[in-house]
Amino acid sequence: MACGKAINNRRPKILLPGISMDLALQLLFTGIGIGAVYALVALGFVLIFRATNVVNFAQGEFSMVAAYLMVVFAVDLGWPYWLSFLLALAGMALLGAIFNLGVYYPLRHRSFLPVIIATIGASILLSNSVLAIYGPQPQVLEGWFETPGIQLGPVYLDSQYLLIIAVTIVLVIFNYWFFEHTMLGKKLQATSQDKEMASLLGISVSTMIMITFIYSAVLGGLAGILVAPVLFVSIQMGSTIALKAFAATIIGGFGDVTGAIIGGLALGIIETFGAAYISVPYKDGFAFLVLVAFLVFRPQGIFGERVAEKA
Amino acid sequence: MKLTRRDFTAGLAVGITAPYAIRSARAQAATLKIGMCVPVTGPAAEQGLWAQNGAKLALAAVNKAGGVLGKQVELVIEDDQTTNPGIVLAFSKLAAQPDIVAFLGSIRSTQVMAMAPDVLKLGKPVMIGGTNPDLTHMGNPWLFRFRPNDSYSGRVIADFGVNTLGKKKWAIVHSTDAFGTAGGKALSDALSKLGAPPVLDQGYANQSQDFTPVVLAVKQSGADVLGTYFTFENDLGIFARQLRQLGVTIPWVGSPSVVAVSSTKLAGPALYGTFGVADYAEESGDAPRAFGKSYRETYKTAPDIQSAWTYDAVTILSAAINKAGSTDPTKIREAILALKKFPGAEGEYNFDQNGDGLHGYNVVRNEKGMIVFDKHIEFND
Repeated sequence: MACGKAINNRRPKILLPGISMDLALQLLFTGIGIGAVYALVALGFVLIFRATNVVNFAQGEFSMVAAYLMVVFAVDLGWPYWLSFLLALAGMALLGAIFNLGVYYPLRHRSFLPVIIATIGASILLSNSVLAIYGPQPQVLEGWFETPGIQLGPVYLDSQYLLIIAVTIVLVIFNYWFFEHTMLGKKLQATSQDKEMASLLGISVSTMIMITFIYSAVLGGLAGILVAPVLFVSIQMGSTIALKAFAATIIGGFGDVTGAIIGGLALGIIETFGAAYISVPYKDGFAFLVLVAFLVFRPQGIFGERVAEKA
Repeated sequence: MKLTRRDFTAGLAVGITAPYAIRSARAQAATLKIGMCVPVTGPAAEQGLWAQNGAKLALAAVNKAGGVLGKQVELVIEDDQTTNPGIVLAFSKLAAQPDIVAFLGSIRSTQVMAMAPDVLKLGKPVMIGGTNPDLTHMGNPWLFRFRPNDSYSGRVIADFGVNTLGKKKWAIVHSTDAFGTAGGKALSDALSKLGAPPVLDQGYANQSQDFTPVVLAVKQSGADVLGTYFTFENDLGIFARQLRQLGVTIPWVGSPSVVAVSSTKLAGPALYGTFGVADYAEESGDAPRAFGKSYRETYKTAPDIQSAWTYDAVTILSAAINKAGSTDPTKIREAILALKKFPGAEGEYNFDQNGDGLHGYNVVRNEKGMIVFDKHIEFND
């Protein structure tokens, strides 16, 4: 990998082609790792979108709140990690329920716009509430494993990224099983496809939407807890991830679970390789360039349906 | 005279509000106000808290010693949201209050750059912590810097790495914001003058979640020493951890963020053994030691540059207004520029005509999480 030769004119540096396979593998692993984080948060976006037809812009804040809950339980109170983890997820389930009752439910008969604005408002409220309660200092949350990572040949595998990738794979399988092979999953699918028909069939639509919000909050929280040891726990962590996850959702196809996973992974890999091969400072630019390209040429994303039709 | 209902209501309103209005007017006359634009929200909210702590500590000392021009000093704080539009808005809110005599601006060069035109328009002194050398060299007489600028930090990093550590193959990693770009350039220029031009000059965007491509670029460059200008401690923490994980162990000499309290906490062992230039080093003199002691007693934690510069800014501004005997902006300016050999938490202040108060840096090192003073390098220009 050649790099940084144009020192004196201070242009953004280009890592020229010729990058070694070892380094490409390292980049691939990191890209998949960070992409898996986007995918987890994107999954929450998709599930709520399918159930309610609105984008929940507070999805990133769910990740941030869960990470802070972990800090409170595991670091401040010194409780066992597994117990803190379960309590944090339980807290997220409660937050999801409150979010549904306080933000979505009162506006459920309105058009999508007031609900979206309400989720933006809730996102600001959540981040500033945590800021007011916990203060602005970023916090350190140790990872699950004592070993920070393993060296596999030329590639260093960060144990936390390995865990994130493993959890993402498990969740993909779980989601498939849950939505395709359980009655509750099918009821949720029916609700997301046609609320009136679901209601006529005796499905409690409001209960299904409540379950969706709870599940999405837990998913977002899970992403936050998993990524916290890598990115640290800060007020901004949620919004930074959510922006990319939102892009991943559009790339994958709004409303499609597989699309969210593929979109997240693709985004992680594209921005990591884009940064290494083309320009580090424009790393975020690649992600959003791909987003714009999809919006222009394939607005329905890789797997999904047209956003305009959904909206 | 017939008392109508309207007269009665008006009289009642005046009766109720008058004591408040009088008290407020008296309070306004009794205090001298300093405006402070500081991040209360946004990515630098933590740094903003440190900055407020430093300013408030100085304020308490000034007020305890009798205040300024016989009045108690009051700090009026506005949130700059850690953004350029945020600080422009915050400053315009403060500037609209005619009884504010001077201001504290940002430690972030990019924000100072954004507010500078409004500062020039208002024509009142603004104390700043941004270290981009250009800030005090663009014809704005109202900006006064309470930190050494990056032309010094670059020279000190280069001098220490080349002459003390004996390293000549440099990789520079810097943020692409105004601070990082100027710092990276200053370091690159200083290295070139020492005959050791960098082999890698790598920028990155703030708030990056992953630094693998940057670390791999450093690794591939074959550099034997690393020089950095990081804006946010979060970014620095992630970079430091990934740097060590990917096996890069070359010596590292960085800008002040490398030795900031927050970075030390976030990155932990990944920063052990690193060197940093720091305007504030507790063991570098009596005034820094006294500030450190007072800060620890009040806030139960160690201070760093974020709080040291605002502490000095309030202390020196108060001393200058007292010396000027007036709140006239021009007289305050002359009084600040006339200050020589003023002992501050960050070192000895000798303001030049550009408004730069400090002209040297300390080199410190991270010894297993403890920041230890190494040496001070002062320049005469």
